[in-house]
Amino acid sequence: MLRFALRTVPRLSAIRTATRAQQTVMSVGSLRMQQQVRLMSSENLADAEFDARYEAFFNRPDIDGWEIRKGMSDLVQMDLVPDPIIVAAALRACRRVNDYALTTRILEIVKIKCADQVNEIWPYMIQELKPTLDELGILLPEEMGYDQPELALPNPYDIH
Amino acid sequence: MSSLLSRRLLREVKQVGQVQIMAARNGSGGPPMPEQKLMIGKREIVGYGINGEANYMDNVMAPFPAIRFKEDVGEIATLREKEKGDWKKMTKEEKKVLYRASFCQTLTEVEAPTGEWKSVVGIALMGVALGMLGYLWLKAVVYEELPHTITDEEYQKAQLKRMIDLRVNPIEGLTSKYDYEKGRWKD
Repeated sequence: MLRFALRTVPRLSAIRTATRAQQTVMSVGSLRMQQQVRLMSSENLADAEFDARYEAFFNRPDIDGWEIRKGMSDLVQMDLVPDPIIVAAALRACRRVNDYALTTRILEIVKIKCADQVNEIWPYMIQELKPTLDELGILLPEEMGYDQPELALPNPYDIH
Repeated sequence: MSSLLSRRLLREVKQVGQVQIMAARNGSGGPPMPEQKLMIGKREIVGYGINGEANYMDNVMAPFPAIRFKEDVGEIATLREKEKGDWKKMTKEEKKVLYRASFCQTLTEVEAPTGEWKSVVGIALMGVALGMLGYLWLKAVVYEELPHTITDEEYQKAQLKRMIDLRVNPIEGLTSKYDYEKGRWKD
């Protein structure tokens, strides 16, 4: 049985070249065979350990809303886009605590974290998260109509 | 005043000792937790927030506020029950109501342009115009007439002849344009 620590989804930098070079969307199964050798470099080992640690944190069965929010806050304060594995684990954690609004907020902030490379990273993120989203019944912010501003509320600092 | 309030509430709290120890350890962390709980009403505390205080703030840098935005009453309370079941059974509108119950603005609305720059530029230019009007008033009312030693034409001619004799700015300036051999201005 393959140990789960050996994550086989490639780094985000790797996937950018992959999607430009190849038009087909590779399934995780075929990736597993091709990416084995690349994972043994030291930089990917540190990334894999980071991802595994955060995924294990969100996968704890007794996690509560406070800890999901704290974990996600710490994650988005770092200068990186969270791996889809971690985001999926966070969404499943929201399901366990029965908090739907938190899932939408997490997806919104992950999209904002993609910053100016959103057109490359966000489709990949949606593609990787699709199984989890469909399984749990979570709508993307775009599907809820939250990719455009819905309400125009006055800035509380401007109300005198 | 606020310390009196918190002391009165602390009498009702069972773990007074722990609260006091926590307060001593955390230093000055804003109002004490019992007072914060009074200020937020029945809204549920759900997280750490931006600094550990129980307040609500929409901020891209701290996207998970410490409390829900609305209290769990009425329609929201019934939706909370539905939220415990299958999310696929909830309609999009119900999901939106749940979102607005937990959050005031979506992050897109937080980042949306406000058009404030137009009022900033407009008011700055109005200030500049006021300054210009101020100068015109000074010139009209405060300053005296220029002395005759500057305005009189005979004086100006004499001063110009003196500048030519002194070779003022002979390389690229005034007297570079004067032809000294012919005794008149160059063409």
